[in-house]
Amino acid sequence: MIEVKNVTKTYGKGESRFMALDDVSFTIPDGVSVAILGKSGSGKSTLMHIMSGLDRTTSGEILINGENVFVKKQKNIDAFRSKTMSFIFQSFFVQGRESCYDNVGLPLEIAEVPVAERKKLITKALESVELGDKARQKAKDLSGGQKQRLAIARAIVNNPKILFADEPTGNLDTATGAVIEKLLFRYAKEQKATLIVVTHDPELAEKCDMQISIRDGKMQYIRGQSEKGENE
Amino acid sequence: MKTTDTLRRAGRSLRQAKARTLLTSLAIAVGAFTIMMSLSAGEGTRNYSNNLIQSNVDPRALFVVQDKSLFESGGSASTGLREFDADVSDRNGRSIKLMNQEDIDALKARDDLEEVVPTYQLSVRSVTFSGSDKQYSAEVAAYNPDVKSEIAAGSLPEKGVAIKDDEIVVPEGYATTLGITPKDLVGKTMTLTIIQPTATLSEEEARQVIAAEGVEGLAQRAQGETKELPLRVVAVTKQAATSFTAATSASVSANTAREIAEFTTKGTDTYQKYLGVTAKATEGNDPAEVKTRLEKEGYAAQTAKDLQSLIFTIVNVLQYIVTGFGILALIASLFGIINTQYISVLERTSQIGLMKALGMRGSDVSRLFRYEAAWIGFLGGVIGIILALIATIILNPIINNALDLGTGNYLLAFVPWHAIVLLASLILIAILAGYFPSRKAAKLDPIEALRTE
Repeated sequence: MIEVKNVTKTYGKGESRFMALDDVSFTIPDGVSVAILGKSGSGKSTLMHIMSGLDRTTSGEILINGENVFVKKQKNIDAFRSKTMSFIFQSFFVQGRESCYDNVGLPLEIAEVPVAERKKLITKALESVELGDKARQKAKDLSGGQKQRLAIARAIVNNPKILFADEPTGNLDTATGAVIEKLLFRYAKEQKATLIVVTHDPELAEKCDMQISIRDGKMQYIRGQSEKGENE
Repeated sequence: MKTTDTLRRAGRSLRQAKARTLLTSLAIAVGAFTIMMSLSAGEGTRNYSNNLIQSNVDPRALFVVQDKSLFESGGSASTGLREFDADVSDRNGRSIKLMNQEDIDALKARDDLEEVVPTYQLSVRSVTFSGSDKQYSAEVAAYNPDVKSEIAAGSLPEKGVAIKDDEIVVPEGYATTLGITPKDLVGKTMTLTIIQPTATLSEEEARQVIAAEGVEGLAQRAQGETKELPLRVVAVTKQAATSFTAATSASVSANTAREIAEFTTKGTDTYQKYLGVTAKATEGNDPAEVKTRLEKEGYAAQTAKDLQSLIFTIVNVLQYIVTGFGILALIASLFGIINTQYISVLERTSQIGLMKALGMRGSDVSRLFRYEAAWIGFLGGVIGIILALIATIILNPIINNALDLGTGNYLLAFVPWHAIVLLASLILIAILAGYFPSRKAAKLDPIEALRTE
């Protein structure tokens, strides 16, 4: 369960002070898919960064499973992040000059997973995104859709409980985007993981269990929480 | 992140930018090559001079003189006029105190010295060889039993044993001049004619001579006495590559040398006056300690080690100069590493951001870049050292040929542990150079980094 409590984030000081998030609060139960909706500049990316501990709040707090994780030392935050969560970005951020295998292996290296277990995990992740045959190929030789599938494999290889996806289909055509969406929802469902999708695409948002809309740093509305909450 | 993973990832990043890595490494390789070559040359030259000294000078040998200034530059300055001293000789404007027979006897009586041989000044008027009346002039020196000589013909006693008093050793060049083979020269008699300077007689002495031997006797005295020393040629030597002694002197035993020296100087100021003596510390006595004792008694002495350190000082200074250039090249290459790594950090901003987002600690990111620098240092070091090894292998025979050093003497000696120490230092230095770029990478804000397209 992720609890966002009265989170405010401001940038700059004095005259140039800019409020990116203004008193945002909501709760996300475990294993649901959530869409954070908003236009560019609305503060939705900042919200994601704060929820994942990449950024710190100006005021307010984030509780994950009741624990205020992000007030700990940076070292512990990093360790927590490497074991609990993962990311997918609009522009993939796959390492073109590395093989697909090595790309997927990165989170395992960071989380210090024993070498003996890595091969199995990497192969499984690549196969689940149907890139099993491309393990030795350089990532730069893949198409856009394949690159994002590779990014998904990299994101899920360490079985994260929370998966952040920042405009995962933003750079893809509709057909390819649909494949990516399917993969993301399938993982969340199979692993009972929390999927947090940051998007400005209402169609994608509709496919999520919950929708949180952000506008000018304020939460506009939240939908679907109660129905899912009853199921839990 | 585990160290092995960091190392592997660092190596992979470098492989992905092959040309850049190689060029940066080559800059280090230039420095590594220069330093390795200077280390090899220093080691080789020291080995060679050691070899040279060992085959010419017994480690127990000492050279003892009365006048310390002989070992210093110049000697005591002379004003041209000084109080008379029979033991002081003026040479080229320098006053040198010589040793007299008393000193020699005192040195011979010591129980920490043996084989005390004065440095005889030998002058021979002419020499003849059996079977011909033709006269030649030749230089004669005392035989040094500690010098390894290669023999062209005949035989020499083993190292450390002197030749007999009626024997003489001649260089190969003599046979060439005589127009015979070295083998034919062995066994011939070489007769040395030495001459005693005219004695200055007082009027009374002159009268006595006339009374005893007549005018002819006086005439003979005025002419100077001559003496012939027939010596048997026992060996013809080749000039050894590691020999100090000139190839043009014939060698006689110490006793014969003494006979010649005393005969030719009798009645003159230099009779039984010597520049110094060569001697050996007796078994069980450290030459350095003997030297200290001698110095307390007013002598000056040089040991084989002193001679060695003299040569080594020159070699070391040269080596420091070359090493200095190598270090300059290395310093230049360090800026290359810093530059390359800064560019690498800029290029990989998004990768660093991703790694940090995935939970990689700043210290691990920093370590990754420092290891990359270490790899560059390692690669440059290996390239430089291998090039130095190849150069050593190729150049050694060429230098040996050009300088005629003799078989087995090489001026470049590649020492593996030097290479290992050099490589380790290069890696360390490279890591230090990589510190600034790695700190930049570690401090990168992941949010900013991931915004980079």
